[in-house]
Formats: sequence, C-alpha cells, structure tokens
Amino acid sequence: MFQLFLIAFRNLGTHRRRTVLLGGAIAGVTALLVILMGLSTGMKETMLRSATTLATGHVNVGGFYKVTAGQAAPVVTAYPKILEQVRKAVPELDYAVQRGRGWAKIVSESGSLQVGVGGIDVKDEPGFRQVLQIQEGNLDGLNEQSTVLLFEKQAKRLQVKVGDTVTISAPTMRGTNNTVDVRVAAIATDVGMMSDFNVFVPSGTLRSLYQLRDDTTGALYLYLKDVNQVPHVQARLRTVLADAGHQLMDNDPRAFWMKFEVVNREAWTGQKLDITNWEDELSFITWTLTALNGLTGILIFVLLVIIGVGIMNTLWIAIRERTREIGTLRAIGMQRTRVVVMFLFEAMTLGALGTLAGALIGLAVCLGVDSAHVGVPEAVAMFIMSDRLHLVVNAGSVVGAMVFITTCTTLISLIPSFLAARLKPVTAMHHIG
Amino acid sequence: MNAAVAQSPIVSITNVTKDYTLGKVVVPALRGVDLQVHPGEFISIAGPSGSGKTTLLNLIGCVDTATSGVVSVAGQDTKQLTERQLTHLRLHTIGFIFQSFNLVSVLSVFQNVEFPLLLQRKLDKNQRRERVNQLLEQVGLAHHAKHRPNELSGGQRQRVAVARALVTRPQLVLADEPTANLDSVTGQHIIDLMKELNQKEGTTFIFSTHDAKVMSHANAVVRLADGKFLDRLSPSEAKRAMAAGAEGH
Ligand SMILES: Nc1ncnc2c1ncn2[C@@H]1O[C@H](COP(=O)(O)OP(=O)(O)O)[C@@H](O)[C@H]1O
Ligand SMILES: [Mg+2]
Repeated sequence: MFQLFLIAFRNLGTHRRRTVLLGGAIAGVTALLVILMGLSTGMKETMLRSATTLATGHVNVGGFYKVTAGQAAPVVTAYPKILEQVRKAVPELDYAVQRGRGWAKIVSESGSLQVGVGGIDVKDEPGFRQVLQIQEGNLDGLNEQSTVLLFEKQAKRLQVKVGDTVTISAPTMRGTNNTVDVRVAAIATDVGMMSDFNVFVPSGTLRSLYQLRDDTTGALYLYLKDVNQVPHVQARLRTVLADAGHQLMDNDPRAFWMKFEVVNREAWTGQKLDITNWEDELSFITWTLTALNGLTGILIFVLLVIIGVGIMNTLWIAIRERTREIGTLRAIGMQRTRVVVMFLFEAMTLGALGTLAGALIGLAVCLGVDSAHVGVPEAVAMFIMSDRLHLVVNAGSVVGAMVFITTCTTLISLIPSFLAARLKPVTAMHHIG
Repeated sequence: MNAAVAQSPIVSITNVTKDYTLGKVVVPALRGVDLQVHPGEFISIAGPSGSGKTTLLNLIGCVDTATSGVVSVAGQDTKQLTERQLTHLRLHTIGFIFQSFNLVSVLSVFQNVEFPLLLQRKLDKNQRRERVNQLLEQVGLAHHAKHRPNELSGGQRQRVAVARALVTRPQLVLADEPTANLDSVTGQHIIDLMKELNQKEGTTFIFSTHDAKVMSHANAVVRLADGKFLDRLSPSEAKRAMAAGAEGH
C-alpha cells in the first residue's frame, strides 16, 4: 500500500507544473469559499446583533392594551410582575430589559421626521454600548430625562447637534397630540435601516409623552445566553404566562407594528400579551439575509462548477498520460481496484494540500480584512447595519469546505481512474498520449 | 528435460486466432495456432517481424484475450477466469518481460523490481531487499539501485525489466525479444541467467527472438509465419532452416 502512496506522491512531484496549477486552482476556490462564508457569516452576525439590540430582544413579551375594542396601544401593563414571572421561568436568560414603544414625529426648527421611539433605561442595556458608535455626545446623557439619542442621518435631516432641543409629538389613545421637548444627548453612527426609523429616549420621557403609568412599558426584551434556545423559551413562556392568568394573543410571526389592524378588528378589551422572537420582529428585513445567503450560494456553486470542470479536465489528461503505466502495473498483476485507489489517493492528496493552502489563505484574508476595519458603501451598510466590514470565520464551515472540495476532487478523478483501470492491460500499454 | 515433457503442459494453446480491428479493417494477427509448452521447457518463438510473436506472448501472458480458441495457462482456461483471477495469475504465476521495458518512471530501479513482491505480499521487508539486491547483482545493476529509469540506457532498462519479471520466481517467464536492446555480452549474460533459473528452479521460459545465437540455448524453436504455426524444431534444425530460408530469399 505504501508503494501506491509513494507512486502517487512522486507523480505529483514529477508533474510539478500541473500539480501547482491544479493545487492552486483548488486552493483558490477554497480561499474564495472561506472568504465568502466569512463575509456572509460576518454580515449576518453584524446585522442580527445590531437589529436584535436596537429593535428586538431574542424573545419579547409585548402585547396590546385596548380601552375600547378599536383602540389598541402597544403596551404591557403591570410589567414588573410579569418580568418577575419571566425571570423565574427562563433560566437561559442573559439579561432582560423593558422597552417603551411609540410612533411619533420629531420636529426641529428646520425639519421633521416620523420615527419609532424606543424608551430605554440605558444603564440596563449593555448591548447598546456594544452596538452603537457614538459620534457626538454620550450615551450616559440618556440617564437624564427629556433627552434623545439620534442617528447621524436623522441629525443631519433635522439639522441639530448635541445639546439642541427637538420636540417629539405623538398622538395618544385619547385622540389628542402630546408633545415633549427633548435635548439631543447623543448622536450615533448610522446602523443601516434600523437607524432610519428609530430614535431612543429615556423610558420615563416616553411614558410622560404617552401619559402612561410607571408600571407600563412597550415590551420586555429578553436576551438569552444561547440564541438557539429561542423556540424552547418562547414555547415555555406561552404556557407559564397563560398559567399565571394572562391573556395571550395567538402566535403571529410579524413585527408588533404590523399587527394593529388585526388587533383593532378583534372585539376584546383590556390587556393581552404577545410573545414573539427576534425573527418575527425582524421579518421585514430578514429577506436580506435570505438574499445574501442565496447570492453566496449561487456564486459558490458557479465557481465550483467552473473549477470542477477544470480540475476534471486536467485530472483526465493526467490520467490519460499515464495509461501506459497503468497497463504495465496491471500486466504485472495489480488489481483494478488498487489502480483506482492509487489515483484516488493522488487526487485526494492534491485536494487536501490544495484546500489546506486555500483555507489558510482565506483565513488570513478574513482576519486581515476584519482587523483592518474596512468601510463599506452606504448601500451595503444599510443592509448589514454596520459601516464596517466584519468577517467571521467559522472553524466548522472551513473544515466543511475543505472536506467538501477534497471530496469533489476525489470523486471527479474517480471517472478517469476507473476508465483507465478498466482497459485491457495490453491496450493500456500501447496507449499513446 | 524429457521428464518435464511427460507432465501436463503449463501452456496449452488450441486453435487460437487473434484479430485486431483498426477502425473497419480487421487485421488477423494469429490464424489458428496450436502450441503446448511443458513445465521446465525453454522455448524460443521465432519468426519474421509481424508474424505474431508479440501477440502470442500477450495471449499467454493474459494481458490480452484471444478472438477464438483456447488459451490455458497453468491448467486454467483463461477464458473462464474473471479479470481478478487473471490478474492474480499474472502476479503469482507469470513473469513478463515486455519488448518496450515498461518501467514505472517515478520509481527507482530498486522500487521497480520490488513492486511485484509488494503486490504479492508474501515477503517481509528484509526478504524483499535481499531478493531484489540479489537480482540486481545478477543483472549487473547493483550500483544503479537508486537511479530512476530515465537515468539508464536502453540496455540497463531492459535488465531492470528482466529483474522485475524474475523477482517473484514465477513458474512461467515470458520474454518478448529480451536481448533485442542489449549488446551481445549483456544479452549473453541475461540468457545465461535465464538458463540458470530454468535449470535450477525448473522455471519455464518462452521468449521470442530474432537472434540465432539466443535460439541455440532453447530446447525447441517454435516458428511462426504470417500468424500461423510453421514448425517446431530443435535449435540446430532451426539454424539450418533459417539459413536455408535466408538463402531462398
Ligand atoms: N495493436 C494492434 N493493432 C492492430 N494491429 C496490430 C496490433 N498489434 C499487432 N498488430 C498486427 O498484428 C500482426 C502481428 O504483430 P506482432 O504480434 O506484433 O508481430 P511480431 O511481434 O512477430 O512482430 C502484425 O501484422 C501487426 O501489424
Ligand atoms: Mg513483436
């Protein structure tokens, strides 16, 4: 057996040009695959981290309160007790926050914007500090009431700076407009789509805008230690909260602001809770992820096909060139299966070395680009919710790519090896090529 | 020698034909050949170029199949054997010295000669080394063990091919013009080596040749002409017949 490997190795060494060419092609595809995967994973990660921090928890306990059948407010009343019940029921919890949710108009001297207003207790929101890059001012400024956090583009539209005052004007359940004057405490770098339609104020400010009680909030955002636990937690919360006597809405996998119409049409009044997860709340943007995945997939597939054909061709030629040798080995008494094994081993060695080199190159590029903090065009930033290119290399998928490409190379070489091994020894020995 | 003839033949060829098809043209290379070779014989196959010597050896060596007729080797009808069994037969029973060397270019001389032993898996490393070195010594290539075939002359390559064919100590050795590429001294040496093996171990040799000097070592000379069995002569008869034939032209 050793001699088979020796022949395979020596052959790779003897046809150095071809080996380098083929190995290089394999390495190239692997590197590209690793980079594309790194890009895709990184973008996904950035996108989800930004989005989940700013617009949703991993699991949310939200809901609607209706004074009359047709007037729904996206609030949870008496939330401290619910929070307590949730904490008890969810040991997977990393941290939980309450968020006010509103929809209002921000008016400055030179412009106005219609935005979602989030009410936050900034000191309880560790994720915020990681996700947001403050350009001007300070996040801690939001500890004071009557302040607001704007994003870069919004500040530009409104032509305001930190310290300026803007007015937030919101319709209440009673049909009147309430207003509150807030001081711009911080301006953050845009994080894609999220920053187009969100501003943040202290929860107290949001409550006073809507004239809500202290124990009322928009939703409880639960952040789990492991995102994969979301379905379990969601299911458990449904039973636990229902058992505790709360009214639950039927599961509806959409963002809360898309549900008003349905809720208003229903006859009930009072409080109902709605348990959603981050995918529900972000359903209107996750298509970008799907598109990204699809695009990466297509790109990789096309590349693989092109390179696969190239590799097949070269291997084919390589094996044809050695048909005489195969004939000799067969004539001496080498079984067909061993001939095939010999060539497969050769292809596998080539594949393994090529993919290893490619993976290392890909890794280096990923790490390099990631640490270089390469900026991205605004159009891309919009989708990935970050102005920086972030690449994440997943060891499992790199190994997966290596195994996959090596397997492909080996399988491709199976055909010509098999054909060569099948020839009559004398035919093979007299083969010219 | 006479005792050997009494045994059942190691090679038995009955009414064998072989056609090659080149596109639409059918070239008959053998047209009904009969031949019996008994264990321990040292047979020379003679005949002008194109008379079918190589074709016949290929059939006996189980690297090609006859168009019709029966080729039996070591008592087995080769038509009845699977490809696996044929390969096994080639490995364990037959040693083949091809006309065009057919060495593995990426392996050293030593590794080329050792290769059949590795396929056989009968000997351990030390036994193999001993066997290979001994043979390389006998063919005068002890100092070239580490060379690659492309670093050798034609004659040297031929000797590697001889060593490779003999290394497994096969019952039957087929040689297609084994001395054609050798100078007369080396050629003589190779023939002596084959003869020695023939006498010591009873190895059966069938070789094709043009060379009357080489033929003189044979028990019998089988003459082919135009794909047909012509006659089976003693070396001295053959010499005379060939001389007569040469005069006749
Ligand atoms: N692979 C082949 N394809 C077609 N014809 C062949 C082939 N090999 C041999 N022949 C023909 O078969 C005949 C016998 O050839 P061969 O056995 O090589 O003769 P020898 O070895 O005595 O010179 C010749 O006419 C030759 O042209
Ligand atoms: Mg010939």
